[in-house]
Amino acid sequence: MKKGKVFVLALLVMVMIVPSLWAQGAQEAGTDGKVVVKTMAYGDNSNQEGVNWVRIVNSFEKENPDIDIDYEMLYDEAYHQKVVARLAAGDVPDLAYMGADARWGLPWKEAGQQFDHTEFLDPDYYDLNLIPPMDMNGEIYEIPLGTSNITTVLFMNTRLMDELGLSAPETYEDMVAMVPVARKAGIEVLTIDGADGWAWGSCLMSAVVARMSGDPQWVSKAVAGEYSFDDKVMIDSLSFLNRMVDDGVLLEKSVLVDYGANVSNYNNEKALFMVQGQWVAGGIENPEVANATKMIAWPTLPGEKPGLEGSVAAAIQVGYGLTKQGASDPEVRDAALKFLRYFFSHAETTQRLRDGAIVAPILKDFEVPSDLPSIVKEKVALAQRAPNTDVIDAFLSGDANEALNTGMQKIVSGQSTPEEVAMQVESLVQR
Amino acid sequence: MKKRDIQALPTYLILVAPALLIYLFVVAYPIGYSVWLSFTDFNPNKGGQWDWVGTLQYSTMFKDPNFWHALKNNLIVVAVSVFGQIPIGFILAYILYRKKVKAVHFFQTFVFLPQFLSTIVIGILWKRLFQADGPISRIIQIVSKDPQAQFELMLYADTVMIPIAFALIWVYTGMYMTIFLANLQKIDDHLIEAAKIDGATESQIFLKVIVPLLAGTILVSSILAIAGSLRGFDLIFSITTQGLQRNNAMVLPIFMYQSAFQNYTNEMRFAYGAAISNIIVVISLILIGISRLVGKKTDY
Repeated sequence: MKKGKVFVLALLVMVMIVPSLWAQGAQEAGTDGKVVVKTMAYGDNSNQEGVNWVRIVNSFEKENPDIDIDYEMLYDEAYHQKVVARLAAGDVPDLAYMGADARWGLPWKEAGQQFDHTEFLDPDYYDLNLIPPMDMNGEIYEIPLGTSNITTVLFMNTRLMDELGLSAPETYEDMVAMVPVARKAGIEVLTIDGADGWAWGSCLMSAVVARMSGDPQWVSKAVAGEYSFDDKVMIDSLSFLNRMVDDGVLLEKSVLVDYGANVSNYNNEKALFMVQGQWVAGGIENPEVANATKMIAWPTLPGEKPGLEGSVAAAIQVGYGLTKQGASDPEVRDAALKFLRYFFSHAETTQRLRDGAIVAPILKDFEVPSDLPSIVKEKVALAQRAPNTDVIDAFLSGDANEALNTGMQKIVSGQSTPEEVAMQVESLVQR
Repeated sequence: MKKRDIQALPTYLILVAPALLIYLFVVAYPIGYSVWLSFTDFNPNKGGQWDWVGTLQYSTMFKDPNFWHALKNNLIVVAVSVFGQIPIGFILAYILYRKKVKAVHFFQTFVFLPQFLSTIVIGILWKRLFQADGPISRIIQIVSKDPQAQFELMLYADTVMIPIAFALIWVYTGMYMTIFLANLQKIDDHLIEAAKIDGATESQIFLKVIVPLLAGTILVSSILAIAGSLRGFDLIFSITTQGLQRNNAMVLPIFMYQSAFQNYTNEMRFAYGAAISNIIVVISLILIGISRLVGKKTDY
């Protein structure tokens, strides 16, 4: 082939490749002049959290044309998967939905991306007394959406209870007494999303083990080595699951009910009580059920130690925080903090409260509107009266947490004993 | 090398270079990186420090009962693919090719339809079928006249792969049917006519004429099925719920994902995940090698 032809060919290749590179460059330069805040948001287009996020970002960008909140929004497991993948790939967002505990904070901690916001939080705007310290030296790694997140709530349908001539249970035995009445009416006493392993730990066992031990910090102390997961307290707590099944309070088929079906069961009045966290309040879309719902702590359990009556398990609520990488650039940091203040405005916080997404705000001088939906008032009342205990997966993670959650599913479906599960968890805890 | 070839070399390199570069960066580099990673304790979130740990990740993996459980499930998926999807796809294609049913195009579209749906959507649909008081449980309740009866196969490690096998067959059989149908349509009709004239029955035509002619297609389909089965993640992940069901139905890619991305207590989890993914590749190569060997032995 002649040199001329080779040259023409090379030129052709260049002509084909260069424009595509140039186009890519042009795409990146499309945000020229703007401060881009790479963000990982939480929600999806079908839930209130996601819809509100999109609306807030759009209105913020309209008011601040020099800032681009370049977000990726994911929900549930997809969010957790993507966080790990992005951090491992070095694609660290500047701002992200995050927590500070074992479930929501570990990936950020391991990647060294937790950033202490303390000196950047305006004490006249945020009520710093309502934001708990998240590490040894009082660091604040994220601005929580609200005050502590109650995970072990019993949602009680008072309308159904009244119809069946039942009243709020004071003891577990009161719930057992409801079984024949509920069955006669063709409904269940309790619905739980037992097909999701985490629900057993977060929404049920966290309350049970604290009550059985009488120690609100039993879980964190067990993880630290002060107690053992195969102690009698844990075995008794796990045995309580068997008792619930034997008594008919909990059905074996619970292990086949997922999160959506659980909420649907309660919305459709197929159960007197639903076990879940406070965040589900916003998901009770049947207005009759929502208005008739009372949010209560578990009644007194058999074998419960005195001192924690009416307690609920609660963890620091997740929220949004800057990463170390985002905070390293003052322009990005300031833009992100400006956005966060907008995101946590009184109006948006009130909306979040109305939507049932938070228990109570963390803003200074926040006036709680008097016309809140009844279920939101229920939530605030529960938070005010119930003592708090540890949430298991805020402290226990990895294989040990997985073994505990699946172990509880096996106990309920008759495949394992409490002793076997307790021993397996203890063998997997890394201290 | 001839002078003419030497002169053509620059052109050759210019034409090959883009594809080669893409291949090296997108395919070869990750494979090499994964192999290297599996012999270290490297964790990208730990500041780039790493040590050579030899075969530690592999020995840990072989001692892990979850690995053997996942491998067993994976081999079940391979078996369902090779001995379920392919024969059923072949038979359906033959029925359509020989016009043994009316409305050929309707059935063809019907069987192929799942291919148009997102795997995640399919997984969620099947999950709904299997849930408490879901459609399958309702049927069981009606048949058994027990209102408490439930479809419980998803709860047990020994039975979870049965419903999943049904889902796998439903999803992928259409693809193999289409492959076989396309190849059947290339067969010269005169061969079948000649066999008929010679007095061959329908089953003899199928076994003695059609199957030998499509031996190559069967082999290619088997390779596709094996490779697809071993890397299959999305359907099983979405058909199961987090916890007991997913652990019961764990296949190697899910085991790899959970080990590498969820078990924070293992600081070497990324290297461990790399070791698992390398083993998936090795097993794939072995199975594909076996299928090629079988293919050669049965070559007509």
